[in-house]
Amino acid sequence: MTLPRATPVDGFPTHTSRVQAETEEILFKHHPDPLSNNNATPGSSSLGAASTPTSSSSSTQGKPADSDGGPALQKQLHMSFLVRNMVQGFPARYISQDASQPWLMFWTLQAFSILQVGLDPGNKQRAIDTVMSWQHPDGGFGGGPGQRPHLLPTYASVCALAVVGRPGPGGGWDQIDRQKLYRFFMSVKQPDGSFLVAKDAEVDVRGTYCLLVVATLLGILTPELIEGTPEFIASCQTYEGGFASASQPSYSPGPNPTLLEFPRPPLGEAHGGYTFCALASWVLLQPFLEAGYKGAHSSKPPTIDLNNTLRWLVQMQGTEIELGGFKGRTNKLVDGCYSWWVGGAFALLEVFGIGASSEEIGSQNQPSKDEKLDDGWDDVDDSLLNRKALQEYILWAGQHPAGGLRDKPPKHADAYHTQYCLAGLSAAQHHVYPSVSREQALAQAWVETEPFEPDLGHPGLSQEQRKTIFAKALCWKEEEGASKCVGGAKNRVNASHPVFDLTITHSQGIMAHFYGQDLERLRGPAAKPTAA
Amino acid sequence: MTSPADVLYADNPAWADVTPLPQYEGVNPLAPILYTEEYKDATDYFRGIVKTGEKSPRVLELTEKIIRLNPAHYSAWQYRFETLKAVKVPLEDELKLMDELAVKYLKTYQVWHHRRLLLTESYNLEPKRELEFIAKSLKADTKNYHTWSYRQWLLAFVNDGELWVGELDFVEEMLNEDLRNNSAWHHRFFVVWLGGGGGGMGVGGTREEKERVLRRELTFTKQLISLAPNNPSAWNYLRGVLDRTETPYGLILPFVRLYIVNLSDRAGSTDIVDVENPPPSEGAQLPCTAALEFTADAYERQGDDEGRKKAVELWKVLANEQDTIRKRYWEFRIRGVEKKVGA
Ligand SMILES: [Zn+2]
Repeated sequence: MTLPRATPVDGFPTHTSRVQAETEEILFKHHPDPLSNNNATPGSSSLGAASTPTSSSSSTQGKPADSDGGPALQKQLHMSFLVRNMVQGFPARYISQDASQPWLMFWTLQAFSILQVGLDPGNKQRAIDTVMSWQHPDGGFGGGPGQRPHLLPTYASVCALAVVGRPGPGGGWDQIDRQKLYRFFMSVKQPDGSFLVAKDAEVDVRGTYCLLVVATLLGILTPELIEGTPEFIASCQTYEGGFASASQPSYSPGPNPTLLEFPRPPLGEAHGGYTFCALASWVLLQPFLEAGYKGAHSSKPPTIDLNNTLRWLVQMQGTEIELGGFKGRTNKLVDGCYSWWVGGAFALLEVFGIGASSEEIGSQNQPSKDEKLDDGWDDVDDSLLNRKALQEYILWAGQHPAGGLRDKPPKHADAYHTQYCLAGLSAAQHHVYPSVSREQALAQAWVETEPFEPDLGHPGLSQEQRKTIFAKALCWKEEEGASKCVGGAKNRVNASHPVFDLTITHSQGIMAHFYGQDLERLRGPAAKPTAA
Repeated sequence: MTSPADVLYADNPAWADVTPLPQYEGVNPLAPILYTEEYKDATDYFRGIVKTGEKSPRVLELTEKIIRLNPAHYSAWQYRFETLKAVKVPLEDELKLMDELAVKYLKTYQVWHHRRLLLTESYNLEPKRELEFIAKSLKADTKNYHTWSYRQWLLAFVNDGELWVGELDFVEEMLNEDLRNNSAWHHRFFVVWLGGGGGGMGVGGTREEKERVLRRELTFTKQLISLAPNNPSAWNYLRGVLDRTETPYGLILPFVRLYIVNLSDRAGSTDIVDVENPPPSEGAQLPCTAALEFTADAYERQGDDEGRKKAVELWKVLANEQDTIRKRYWEFRIRGVEKKVGA
């Protein structure tokens, strides 16, 4: 009967330790049973119905507990929150996000997808029409009608279309002007391989991630487009192992500064959001890096220190007293959205053989994990983050009693945290990994189709490169029997694509269209769709 | 600022020649924002202006109005910047306005980026004034990501030896306020190891200088660790410095060992002050997790079975007692070396 340890202050309080202590106090009140320390012993199961008996009436404590005491994902409440925003609209305080309307749409639609809910045809069409009103006449999507093209809303718009769009007239997909979009991408490209997020705007690794996702989904990647980008990404890694928002290209002002040698100094400290974006970008650049990419400005191909990245990622998980939520920076507070940005980044490391699936799972000589089922966490969990604790943070602290999810109590719920908490929950429940056999199967099923040729005079991709990009992007597979839901199966949500933050099904759908591949053949016996 | 805040553009005769443009035409949007009348009015007129391409002083007024209502409206910022250039307003005036807005909307990307555009554009910048302004902002919001990276950009952009060196005092001031401020630690790394603040560390420098800087940084970091050992920012900096200079972790073990013993075990230790190895403060809560991790890493890097065995013992302590939330990671580290033991 010991309380989880408070973060040590060493008798030397500062601003950081004071807000940390305040947060721990609040968070711990949301623990189902502050007096039992069953959380601190990862081996001892406190799952579902086996959970603590003392968490009395849930309503009086504001805790999302079940009648049987386990934490419940309040799906109905969250659905009402999402439906209210979607149909009635977002309240006036969202004016601060008027330049992020595509994000509000994407977060809402993707939250529905994670909750295994699809829209009716009427609302789907309205969503498509709304998204298409954000496409700029010069290419790309803006934050709202008439707003300038910007990489971030372009990602949100295209991903929203992956959820609700379809081929043909009025379906959105074929109304995306890919030539103009590509020209917009090239117009924001910088000499160091980075991208401005918009004309006259800042360079930011989130923009690079958004661009690479869109270019991958729509089949408009080219060697020209990504020239220098691996060096830029690698330069954002800080001494802590995580990644910063950008890196500094030069130390000389003026119109034609000389590029610094790679790696260049990162601007800003290691940060969860940027780390996810950098790592996911690194994954999306693999088809080029593995094919012998050599940068124009460096003699050796760029690398990143993945062990240091892993160390940083695990250090971001809060301790038992913080209910195992994730932080976004060293010595900052846990926050529900980092459940995805940091918690979700572990899956990306598996591409490089770090983590659970460094060997193909489910080979014949291993006992099937399905057979062991619910008897304990240890048997099914090979991951490097504490999946169980992360789910507990989201379920106990991340849910707002009135619906929607949040940063931490006592904050309000909002569209952003609702989607990223749910995405983080998805990442913590399921083990989605890059499957070598799936990649091979996709490559074998490949049929040659007309490639995208940019009208800027430089070449597009070879058939071989397109095939590789396609197969690598869709090789992600959910490990069967490895899902583990704190609070039981009723809390289960859909698995997510670790790079795109879409369901596997939606990722397959839009890519099959833009790469001219047959969706039914792709889904074949080897691939089990995970979405409803 | 020039027109009363409560007058809508729709009612303002000075704007009667502009046709406001509603946001959605022929679309019944899903998930719309329920705007205030004031915001809707201003943005309708902004869309009208963008359509005609007008760039005039009143556009500055309109974009300022929108920015005050929604500082994240990047298109308003973009259009404002283009208008500024077109009407040739003295950029100093704009910078003064930005002084106010940056404080008000500290968390917004755009305010800092706009400053950067102004400085880049005009180039008769006074970097010292700018650094002072940033310092003031950081006092109000000590970990603001945009403000810190803006400071780093400015230092790199100006690249003035004197400014680089002056940064060390600034960092120490910030760490005096809060030695757990990771942004300040990162800034120190940027200045000392990547910029010109380490006697030319980032851009050359002699071997003697490099050794002097390394010693200085190690002494500084150990001192701060001794005040509050359970501070991951300081340990990460220490590791960063050692990695950067390819200094073996083992060299620091005499210092780190002091932080892995229990307080009770320290009784009877000598009172001799060893500046190289400052002991933990009275209030230190030991053993310090970061010190255990560091020691294990140092052992592993010895590269022999002996070291690996010692590392495994420590990782077991971390996995099962001291840092249970990361149990799987410590077990992963154990598996990583067990493959090598005896191989
Ligand atoms: Zn957040």
